[in-house]
Amino acid sequence: MSLSSQKLLELYRKMLLVRAMEETHAKLLQEGKIQLMGHFGTGQEAVAVGVTGPLRQGDVLFGTHRGVGEFIGKGMTPKDIWLEYLGKKSGLCKGKGSLHLCDKKLNIPGLVSSLGADFSMAVGTALAAKMRKTDQVTLYFVGEGTCNQADAHPSMCMASLWKLPVVFAVCTNQFCELSYMCDHYPTDDVAPRAAGYGIPNEVIDGQDIEVTYEAAEKAVEHARSGKGPYLVEYKTFRMATHFTGDPGQYVNPKDKEKWAERDPIDLCRKKLLEAGVITAEEEQKLRSEVQAEVDEAVREGFAAADPSADDLFEDVYSGKGVL
Amino acid sequence: MTRTINFMQAINEAMAEEMRNDPTVFVFGEDVRVSPFGQTAGLVDEFGEERVLNTPIAENAITGAAMGAAMNGMRPILELMFCDFSMLAMDQICNHLGQWRYITGGQYQIPITIRTAVGAGLRMAYGHSQSLESQFVQAPGLILVEPSTPYDAKGLLKSAIRSDDPVVVFEHKKLIFGGVEGEVPDGDFTIPFGEAVVRKEGKDATVVAFGFMNYEALAAAQELLQDNIDIEVIDPRTIVPLDKDTIFESLEKTGRLIIAEECRIRGGLGAEIAALACGEYFSFLNAPVQRVAAPMIPIPGSPILEDLYLPNKDSIIRAVKRVL
Repeated sequence: MSLSSQKLLELYRKMLLVRAMEETHAKLLQEGKIQLMGHFGTGQEAVAVGVTGPLRQGDVLFGTHRGVGEFIGKGMTPKDIWLEYLGKKSGLCKGKGSLHLCDKKLNIPGLVSSLGADFSMAVGTALAAKMRKTDQVTLYFVGEGTCNQADAHPSMCMASLWKLPVVFAVCTNQFCELSYMCDHYPTDDVAPRAAGYGIPNEVIDGQDIEVTYEAAEKAVEHARSGKGPYLVEYKTFRMATHFTGDPGQYVNPKDKEKWAERDPIDLCRKKLLEAGVITAEEEQKLRSEVQAEVDEAVREGFAAADPSADDLFEDVYSGKGVL
Repeated sequence: MTRTINFMQAINEAMAEEMRNDPTVFVFGEDVRVSPFGQTAGLVDEFGEERVLNTPIAENAITGAAMGAAMNGMRPILELMFCDFSMLAMDQICNHLGQWRYITGGQYQIPITIRTAVGAGLRMAYGHSQSLESQFVQAPGLILVEPSTPYDAKGLLKSAIRSDDPVVVFEHKKLIFGGVEGEVPDGDFTIPFGEAVVRKEGKDATVVAFGFMNYEALAAAQELLQDNIDIEVIDPRTIVPLDKDTIFESLEKTGRLIIAEECRIRGGLGAEIAALACGEYFSFLNAPVQRVAAPMIPIPGSPILEDLYLPNKDSIIRAVKRVL
């Protein structure tokens, strides 16, 4: 164990929360209680939680449509997420964002589900941080599929050109929507692209939360100290299909079996038990607590007030109504 | 007290004054330090390279970067050199820019001003000549501004920079390069969005003209007077919000409506105003609404053909005479 017991336990709890959130989402869909489709990040929890672990509340995070890992990692609560997922008036985005989670107090400006536009937005928030002479870092969390969007290139170019405090964290989960990565990439890795823009980069194991956290810590420190951008590519595997309506017939079961042997939550639990940080009994209790927290969030979410027709035309402009 | 300045100076002064007033305002875009047309010329000398930032040639990404800066406490003035180039940034502008406030439940405002040059007739041909304002009309959450005088250019641009909403300002190249002069007040002034101006009063027909088309409409008005036809010319100044009151009060008086724009005709600004007239003000209409706009063809390179492409004074006169 290279992280402190307390830190590792904290990260473990967050990973459990992420998985419980997604499993609960799947269950609610199956039961016909909600319609919002899920794009789950099962198996990627160590990347999303590890990479956001070293961030301060004042740092900016752009996350993805895939699951809730980075949002839980940055400090969003199950209740925040469910109120918004259920389209409630008291949701973070007053029920207008749905899966496009955003929380200004955590410096999470929103997510782009049409993919890629936020690459340059992250460069922009980092530019503002530099212009305003703050020590704020922006973390852009992105999948390898989105790294093929055109804006990836000028974004990395600008970040390096202006030495901006931005970390590009690429979660390479082997799939780009409904295709294997090799259908989209002529290379095994995304990271070397950063070298073309003079951005230091590395490829890291995405299953071990200590490794993911420490790599992010190094990259964030690099950016915060004024040395410019950094790109870390995390290798992981998407155990879920692209979205809840995708049967995943293109996935080779052998790949799933292979990667399941290194499930990030199992790996972390093993470390915690072996190091005596928690007992098996305590671990079981922790899981129950986490599930109870999610269940309570769902319950509160369903009970919360819906928006009304009066809300439909608000928040388009800074003034009232539409122009 | 007033001074006489030209259209280019008006734009330049508006930016310089707002940059002096507010340290979060900065200029961002391709070649803004040198400034190929001159709108941003000299700003780097006063404000330094940090606040007049040259960008790579990557319209969508620089628009996204400006948006990100605006989400994080800055007020960027983004120049997209030609409106044709703004089409490369339409993912940011149409999918995200105007929608961000809404989908975040009002948490994030994007106080960004985009300036872009429209207009044909300068022999720049395909790729550097289109007037594409109508392409922006479908995007929610934007304010769209099209000044035709130095006074409006300065006052509206200052309002745009101060606005908490995203604003796109369309600057016509003939006004930028043509040295069109006009009076502006000394000192600070702004112009509210959504207030049209009656450029010329008249009783026989209402011509709503956008941007440079005001000059064509005023020339048409002079010529029509020889035939004892007295048209009213209205400059909306902002496309969104549109000052319906001024336009339709005029229509109530004249009973005839012509809309003149340099965008192409199909689904253009004229189509929108014609639909408003037919849907909400039908009883005011004594004749069919006429649209004067560019045809549904690319902008040709030949000067002869380009001049035929452009709507102008004569096409406005013909449209007026069709309904009188």
